[in-house]
Amino acid sequence: MTEPRVCVGAIGGAFGVMGEVRLKSFCADPQAIADYAPLTTEDGATRFDLRITRAIAQGFAARLSGVTTKEQADALKGVSLFAERDQLPSLPDDEFYHADLIGLAVLDTGGASLGAVKAVHDHGAGDLLEVLGPNMRASVLIPFTKACVPTVDLATGRVIVDPPEGLFE
Amino acid sequence: MARSIWKGPFVDAYVLKKAEKSRESGRNEVIKIWSRRSTILPQFVGLTFGVYNGHKHVPVNVSEDMIGQKFGEYSPTRTYYGHAADKKAKRK
Repeated sequence: MTEPRVCVGAIGGAFGVMGEVRLKSFCADPQAIADYAPLTTEDGATRFDLRITRAIAQGFAARLSGVTTKEQADALKGVSLFAERDQLPSLPDDEFYHADLIGLAVLDTGGASLGAVKAVHDHGAGDLLEVLGPNMRASVLIPFTKACVPTVDLATGRVIVDPPEGLFE
Repeated sequence: MARSIWKGPFVDAYVLKKAEKSRESGRNEVIKIWSRRSTILPQFVGLTFGVYNGHKHVPVNVSEDMIGQKFGEYSPTRTYYGHAADKKAKRK
């Protein structure tokens, strides 16, 4: 169920005239993008080693392997950078990567399908799973707690939820 | 200017009533409220409120460190999905 690769950043174009690129990081700790190198393009055809040279407005300036001129850097504008899922460090129990949770099938305690996880949010009061089902007009947010989500089974690609009364109305 | 202390924290009366009713019933339920302006009081700790954001009721599990804040602070009115990348969620 887990995607083999996750998007961790994007190239915003050239930075300066010496072949550096503007790098936008999507990671929780923006500098961690360098730890996941080598990064690949969306089709997996091109691999880049990455070295962050400095922080700039809205991202980093970085050097990519094989990119030595401003023209090459400009040609990469808008390219998304992907890391192998296996490169992300393993997490303790009860911690999950958003990338692993998104797309999991959602079942209730009786085994009935409710939909799939569309996104994971944190608005300051704990994490929430956004669940969208085929017969639902709008998505529903479920608190990501042991009481409301007793089972997360990444191997079989499903979560079992026990939502509080009034949530699915 | 800060609110005068002698007035006490502001809470819409219906929120207090609903919270009290839910606590007495002891049921695991979401208390749907529309009052984003109400202050979170100590007696709300442990309850789950569904705070309206103009579109849906966002579940808010009230904990001790939320006391004194407003409900609306935990129910954003704009949606931003962003990228999952290496972001983590902890099941509490």
